[in-house]
Amino acid sequence: MSKKESYDMFEMDGDLDKKKKKKQKKKEKLEGMKREMDIDDHEITIEELEARYNTSVTKGLTSAFAAQVLERDGPNELKPPKGTPEYVKFARQLAGGLQCLMWVAAVICSIAFGIEFARGNLGSFDNLYLAITLIAVVVVTGCFGYYQEFKSTNIIASFKNLVPQQAMVIRDGQKNQINAYQLVVGDLVEIKGGDRVPADIRIITGQSCKVDNSSLTGESEPQTRNAECTHENPLETRNIAFFSTTCLEGVATGVIINTGDRTIIGRIASLASGVGNEKTPIAIEIEHFVDIIAGLAIFFGFTFFVVAMFIGYAFLEAMIFFMAIVVAYVPEGLLATVTVCLSLTAKRLARKNCVVKNLEAVETLGSTSVICSDKTGTLTQNRMTVAHLWFDNQIHAADTTEDQSGQSFDQSSETWRSLARVASLCNRATFRPDQDGVPIPKRLVVGDASETALLKFTELTVGNVMDYRNRFKKVTEVPFNSTNKFQLSIHELEDPLDLRYLLVMKGAPERIMERCSTILIKGQELPLDDQWKEAFQTAYMDLGGLGERVLGFCHLYLNEKEFPRGYQFDADEMNFTTSELCFAGLISMIDPPRATVPDAVMKCRTAGIRVVMVTGDHPITARAIAANVGIISEGSETVEDIAQRKRIPVEQVNKSEARACVISGGQLKDMSSDELDEALRNHPEMVFARTSPQQKLIIVESCQRLGSIVAVTGDGVNDSPALKKADIGVAMGIAGSDAAKNAADMILLDDNFASIVTGVEQGRLIFDNLKKSIAYTLTKNIPELTPYLIYITVSVPLPLGCITILFIELATDIFPSVSLAYEKAESDIMHLKPRNPRRDRLVNEALAVYSYFQIGAIQSFAGFTDYFTAMAQEGWFPLLCVGLRSQWEDVHLQDLQDSYGQEWTYSQRLYQEYTCYTVFFVSIEICQISDVLIRKTRRLSVFQQGFFRNRVLVTAIVFQLCLGNLLCYCPGMPNIFNFMPIRVQWWFVPLPYGILIFVYDEIRKLGVRRHPGSWWDQELYY
Amino acid sequence: MAALKEKRTCGQRCEDFGHFVWNSENGTLMGRTPEKWVYISLYYVAFYVVMTSLFSLAIWVLMYTLSPYAPDYQDRLTSPGVMVWPNTYGEEDVEISYNTSDKASWMGMSNILHEFLEPYNDTMQLQCNPHNCTKGKYFIQNTYSAPKHTKWVCPFTQSMLGACSGLEDPTFGYNCTMPCVIIKMNRIINFLPTNSSSSPPYVNCTVLSGQNNVDKIEYFPNNGTMDPSYFPYYGNLAQPTYVNPLVAVRFSLVGEKQAKIQCRVVSEKISYENIHDPYEGKVLFYLKAVK
Repeated sequence: MSKKESYDMFEMDGDLDKKKKKKQKKKEKLEGMKREMDIDDHEITIEELEARYNTSVTKGLTSAFAAQVLERDGPNELKPPKGTPEYVKFARQLAGGLQCLMWVAAVICSIAFGIEFARGNLGSFDNLYLAITLIAVVVVTGCFGYYQEFKSTNIIASFKNLVPQQAMVIRDGQKNQINAYQLVVGDLVEIKGGDRVPADIRIITGQSCKVDNSSLTGESEPQTRNAECTHENPLETRNIAFFSTTCLEGVATGVIINTGDRTIIGRIASLASGVGNEKTPIAIEIEHFVDIIAGLAIFFGFTFFVVAMFIGYAFLEAMIFFMAIVVAYVPEGLLATVTVCLSLTAKRLARKNCVVKNLEAVETLGSTSVICSDKTGTLTQNRMTVAHLWFDNQIHAADTTEDQSGQSFDQSSETWRSLARVASLCNRATFRPDQDGVPIPKRLVVGDASETALLKFTELTVGNVMDYRNRFKKVTEVPFNSTNKFQLSIHELEDPLDLRYLLVMKGAPERIMERCSTILIKGQELPLDDQWKEAFQTAYMDLGGLGERVLGFCHLYLNEKEFPRGYQFDADEMNFTTSELCFAGLISMIDPPRATVPDAVMKCRTAGIRVVMVTGDHPITARAIAANVGIISEGSETVEDIAQRKRIPVEQVNKSEARACVISGGQLKDMSSDELDEALRNHPEMVFARTSPQQKLIIVESCQRLGSIVAVTGDGVNDSPALKKADIGVAMGIAGSDAAKNAADMILLDDNFASIVTGVEQGRLIFDNLKKSIAYTLTKNIPELTPYLIYITVSVPLPLGCITILFIELATDIFPSVSLAYEKAESDIMHLKPRNPRRDRLVNEALAVYSYFQIGAIQSFAGFTDYFTAMAQEGWFPLLCVGLRSQWEDVHLQDLQDSYGQEWTYSQRLYQEYTCYTVFFVSIEICQISDVLIRKTRRLSVFQQGFFRNRVLVTAIVFQLCLGNLLCYCPGMPNIFNFMPIRVQWWFVPLPYGILIFVYDEIRKLGVRRHPGSWWDQELYY
Repeated sequence: MAALKEKRTCGQRCEDFGHFVWNSENGTLMGRTPEKWVYISLYYVAFYVVMTSLFSLAIWVLMYTLSPYAPDYQDRLTSPGVMVWPNTYGEEDVEISYNTSDKASWMGMSNILHEFLEPYNDTMQLQCNPHNCTKGKYFIQNTYSAPKHTKWVCPFTQSMLGACSGLEDPTFGYNCTMPCVIIKMNRIINFLPTNSSSSPPYVNCTVLSGQNNVDKIEYFPNNGTMDPSYFPYYGNLAQPTYVNPLVAVRFSLVGEKQAKIQCRVVSEKISYENIHDPYEGKVLFYLKAVK
């Protein structure tokens, strides 16, 4: 990462913020950041450094001064990103689209109540109750959502490493082990292999010290660190080691130049919090839905306002009607339904190792169309493993599966025994003690990745390597270095009578080849002629082409006379033969893909999701893994492949012919954003190699420009901006840094790519099921609204009261609508394309129209039939009811005559009205049972889906009926909630309408299935 | 998704909306071609025609099953309501207050009563209810023996109210401090107020507060009795000329001339303690005369 590039990236972050004021503030911060980036601590001499930090490179700081600096600078730890305050989080839960709608409704209700109250109409407290209920619903669901979020935050918090990091510091000339957070600028610290670098350090002395900067730059190659300043850019120079990177091997001492939030990592982490969070697709959908609802509500309200004025109601009364209609249109139960559905899925996902931080992210996963995945650890196992061997002029495949369930190769050859001996002996890696019970692939090893791989491999194939090594006593060894690129050791032989020494050597294959004169074939030492050399070259190229790290192995029995027992071998002088060796074979290693990944990638492919690999690795390795897991499918070619095949220059290749494309970070740097868009459009199979995490952000943005919904995986601190920018950021639970986890929306507990696919499946399912739930919930809005409309226009006694509506919305219908979340998918949802966020809306016109004007209409008719039945059987004929309203509601009229001439007091009429409410309620319930059955499917017949397969739904229907009965027949209900014990036969009046709904919808589905694409399908499929 | 959340200006939005209303490319009006609009409209017309006919059918079947003489259920009418005339209301309760020196005030009261008693006019009653009833027992009729397939109705005439009939004193005592009120019990089909053996129902008024202001309470007809021959009621198809039996009560107001009075129809089958219906079996009112 060059200095220029990192600046560009920071500026880009700033641009993301739309608000001017914020932008300005950010700019200032960025300016400050840039200035601070210009550190020169690596360029100045050690003396200047000592003077600057008032320290000594031999004795370190004095304890007293260190305490002072600690006082001044604060502890050396990353301040947790200034998390949103809890009350803001809670307030956010109360301010979503639906919530706002409900707040408005509550305010309207209060106003209506105020007007009524001012007019001295004390009888009606309904509006007040309604306002209180609305507020209660918002607050309760808000608390629920907040609790969910709180719980997942807790899960994430539990990941944090609670053991304080230790650091070796030299103060007052004494070596001490102290907690890393007590370190201050100027401290002299010592790091060794395996340590995490405790702060930004200027290296003073270093012995073969290597660090892994992958958490900072994404580059997984170990980088050497020593005292020499090699570059003016602090990020490039070799004499600075950065906070939170790991020291892989060697030892180094250095002076701390930055601590805590002032370290490079600290600055990047604090920047990540500045990248704006995107709105989730479900939030957009719900906003869209609220727009529809609000539009319809105002349209209806206004229409009936005009009608009411026309009929001759007073303005104030018409105004109250208007408000009541608007409020009646608010689906009170929907908020609870959506929240519960999402959290159910979140729970289900958590069991499958995906922890969702933000409930809405569940659905976002379902609409994902591009996944930008890391390679290391996500697609692969994150451990070097021996993949192939070449001996006896043949490539043998080793078992790379995680649980050693694969096939092994033929181990009978004599050559193999020699090769295995070289591999076992010429290896410095050792197992950590006390791991007898642990399976070999999982054991902890001291040593670098290749040696670890070889050690585990030999342990698996040969058996107890430690014991084996003891039998071949090591006399001397030459460790690996970058100039000679080999490693050798000399051993005594196992057989005490054989006094020869055995020299074993491994290293870069071409270097090993140079030193060999013979080759082992089937146990026979044959001269290494050109034919064998060519065979070797082919094998080497083949293995290299697989993206594997190849090592060559050779050995030699040293001449007994020249090197008798007791010969003084000198590793530095190399006073022994290192040529004319006997070549044993090649072993190649790779970080193999996880077993489940190829399947998961295949699933993504069938689901129309593009998997883009973004990695810091070498392009060839990246490509090989991509091909291995199916990101680059069989037969796909890159532009370079085509050029090679057709033997034409790369420029002449028609780019659209190439399905695959591998772009390295270097190329990416030179591309304009248009070119990148173009590349992403042209090549369906993309691999980005050697990229820095910053470039990940650019890739994500490009995908988003192309209209995709992007999921990004990441683990490093530097991934956090990309994680935030992505529609859904996925952090790794095991390998992920805290910053990445903070920025992400979802965390994979097992770091496994396959878990994302599970998430996608669940997300798609919940989208479908939410659609069903919403359709179910919306339907009853019409039978709840029409009574009021008829009441206004035809002046019948009110058929359905407001408290009753609330009971339908918030009590009886909640469970069934939630139970639809348990519905199985109608078809294989992983075989469909991801939804187009602009076309496939959660609530589309067809859904609303079908629910409102067809099913809702039938339900209204059912309600009115039952209403008129109850009225007529008690003495009020339908025609008498029309226009009866003013007399019916006259509190002072105690002898109103019904159709039979009987006289009713006001209270008797009121209880009759409650009977009507109850009857209407029962009708809606019966129709809603039918409704929930038809909503099980949108296309299939319910008979195909199975009536009783969704047990929860069956339970919900039973529950709904029981609750309905309880409300009707529990003593005391009439005066508390206006429910009357109605006659049993009135439960059955709406039944034919319920059957009609069911039959009608089956006909609709039949038409949709039989004639896809027809007019019927277009108008009636939602 | 970047395209989705692009900030769009109002102009663009309007343009979008314009495009929605009329899209010349696809020839769509509000998202549908005119042809499709016709189809969908026809579909909805057909849908609603079918639904309305089904609904009408249901209502027709309902009406067909109903008896024209008596309702299927009388769940709410287990006990009749009682009301007092003049039925003038104050804030919440019935308040009969008048000014003896203000003619308009007491004339208002007496006019309400005159109007109320119109159907009880002697000549009219004798003309439309020319049946001689046997007093003292329920007039149970199982056949439609009266003309036009109806049942007989016992006449109740204004004159039965004696001093409060308005015939002798058209002011009903409202020009002085002896006002008459009329108590009516609501009619319920097939309702018998008492078991046949016991004594007939009667009106009993008690002064709840201001006992000292009420000197005397007189009932018309005698004892405030409602004669059983007016029961049961057979509905307005069988008894189109039915009139409820009335009881008039005359109070002699003295002292402060105001009282809170409860008049109750006393009978074992008429409940009066329903807290949710203050007019069931009794009526409560304030009587106040001002000079």
